[in-house]
Amino acid sequence: MFFDLNIKGASLENNIKLAVQASEYGWEHINFSYNQNDFKDALSIKNDLSDSLEGIIDFDYTLEIKSTNINEIRKYVNNFRSRASCISVIGGDLKVNRAVVENIKIDALSRPYLNRFDSGLNHVLAKEAVRNNVAIEVCFKDILRTYLTPRAKVISNIRDICALHHKFDFPMIISSRAESIMDIRTTHDFCEVFRQCGLSDEDIDKSFESAKSILEYNKDRKNMIFKGVRRVSDEA
Amino acid sequence: MKLKVLPPTLRKNNHYLTLDIKIASQIDKDDLVNIIWDACIRFKGECGTSNYNLWVMKFYEFENIDDYHHYKAIVRCQRDFVGEVRSSLALATRYNSSEMAISTIGVSGTIKASQKYI
Repeated sequence: MFFDLNIKGASLENNIKLAVQASEYGWEHINFSYNQNDFKDALSIKNDLSDSLEGIIDFDYTLEIKSTNINEIRKYVNNFRSRASCISVIGGDLKVNRAVVENIKIDALSRPYLNRFDSGLNHVLAKEAVRNNVAIEVCFKDILRTYLTPRAKVISNIRDICALHHKFDFPMIISSRAESIMDIRTTHDFCEVFRQCGLSDEDIDKSFESAKSILEYNKDRKNMIFKGVRRVSDEA
Repeated sequence: MKLKVLPPTLRKNNHYLTLDIKIASQIDKDDLVNIIWDACIRFKGECGTSNYNLWVMKFYEFENIDDYHHYKAIVRCQRDFVGEVRSSLALATRYNSSEMAISTIGVSGTIKASQKYI
């Protein structure tokens, strides 16, 4: 049960290469992420991609919103909610972090520590994330593509997020954010790096379960009337 | 004069990692030794790396694929430090400014058993 909700999507050929490599390395489901400008184009190649990857690996699309304007983020979320199996927003800006964890329509706040000197989360945001079921996403690529001091800071930020996760139990997901096959690692290597960074086995298992539950929840989202109430087709 | 071989109870217990290496430039076994030591020292430090008992046992070269050279290797490490070594190797991304990726595709207790992953 290895889910990666954030592999950077590009052209059809590149996506196929990434998916085949991920499948060889033990991944079972991947989501190609596109930003708000490329997402519509990506939907047009989805059928071809589906034909090419049939029987190799499951895949879907993530909308990754990159913006510092809160109203713009809300607009994109409402616009794409029905078409994306996962919506994540790149964090780093405190206002964005706050707005995202308060929005129940968003699935994940990606990298709240980006370009910051701290983790970008505190107890207030953690409680909001729990209330609105917004996952906090931590990316492997941030550790992989940094050196020395920046890498130490990223790992420190991940530890801080992990401490808040232990205390408040908000959903946390770990993803690779791979752009090329050089960024993909085997599932065991991937888990081991996070284990060395302070996550326990239980945290890692829970993160994959959270990723799975996001996908399952979004498949059924149109039947959700509001929290706790779901439309069912079978009559009791 | 050679040292007498230690009795089995005093020997270190080893595990053997099978590595899958993709790199933009051509490398040989000596380069791989440097890559592995640098990666471990960078991520876990000198004191941590001193525990690992690292040794490159075998080095295999495979067919070139369009945009990278493909190699596999069997590397020895001490039994209780497999996690540390594989995480350090996973985080190695460059060698002599060539892009690189190392993944551990198998762990075994003997060299013979680790060869099934090649």
